Amino acid sequence: MSLNKEVVLQGAKDAFGAPAAVLFAGMVGFGAMGQANGLDIWLTSATSFFMFALPGQVVLIEMLVLGASGVAIAFAVTLTATRFFTMCLTLFPQFPEKQRSSFYYVLVHFMAMTSWAIAMKDFPKMEPEKRLSYFTGFALVCWGVSTPGTALGYLIAGQVPSYLNLGMVFINPLFFLLTFTEVKPRANRIAILLGAVIGPVSYLWFPNYSLLIAGLVGGTIAYSVDLSLRKKAIA
Amino acid sequence: MPETVDLSNMFNDAGMWAALIAACLGTYLWRGLGVFLSGKISQDSEIFKWLSAVTYAMVAALTLRIILLPVGLLSTVPIYVRLTVTILALIVMYSKPGERMVPALLTGTLALVLYALAINYIN
Repeated sequence: MSLNKEVVLQGAKDAFGAPAAVLFAGMVGFGAMGQANGLDIWLTSATSFFMFALPGQVVLIEMLVLGASGVAIAFAVTLTATRFFTMCLTLFPQFPEKQRSSFYYVLVHFMAMTSWAIAMKDFPKMEPEKRLSYFTGFALVCWGVSTPGTALGYLIAGQVPSYLNLGMVFINPLFFLLTFTEVKPRANRIAILLGAVIGPVSYLWFPNYSLLIAGLVGGTIAYSVDLSLRKKAIA
Repeated sequence: MPETVDLSNMFNDAGMWAALIAACLGTYLWRGLGVFLSGKISQDSEIFKWLSAVTYAMVAALTLRIILLPVGLLSTVPIYVRLTVTILALIVMYSKPGERMVPALLTGTLALVLYALAINYIN
């Protein structure tokens, strides 16, 4: 493993600012949710430390409160996490093949939608040799602020008025929505539009599988449309 | 805000931790599997383009679901309010592409907080 310390620090520095602040706020909101639902602070914080996937964490708490079985909970959370599979398949090939090592299996735990989205946007402009170091610094900061944020949110839950909490819960999805406007490749732009429609609609009928359906159907249609447009441009 | 419930009636502590461990393993499974298979994919390939589209469709679906069909605190806000503040933020974002992330974020978030404050005040 050969990380360039300077680039790692640059990634870490860039993460401080909007990305880490947004994630931190989301985790504070999540900590407050854990407290409001009567979970203990250790379990609530452990989800951020060991799972580090906010939508999955919310599903976990929601189902614990409903008294669902452990198997049902694990199943539902695992299904919400499917996105990590294709996020990895589109992130790691952008690192030079000679840098591949078992370190990837550690690093991947620190990947969040935030760091993935930033990597997809900025990697094309970055030298391939710098990407792994940059991502390491960036992702570690995002992960690093999450558990303290969760614990803090839990501890101050009673004192924070709900209108402020509301802002913290909302800032996360809003951030992702806004990053979508900066996505450049045509196929991905079409995919975002289709996913945005198919996701909520399919959720009404198949809540567990809605993300998979939206991803496969929306993504495949978007890719096909883009492919046929590319072929037309050549012809 | 949901009422505080005594979870011990529905789920014992060990059971909750077991569910947590299983959920974490399930989440890591996707991450690890993705790393394992990522070596076989070239970033210039067609399959990479397709997988990127699939991922963006998935994260867009997730984001819109959280905004349109939320659980918990956000679900206490009427959908037209959520939509209005979202559109406000998007307008700010598009007003100068590439440079408006923080102002757009603040616009949307503060608009929602102000709405909740106003409702608080009226009640």
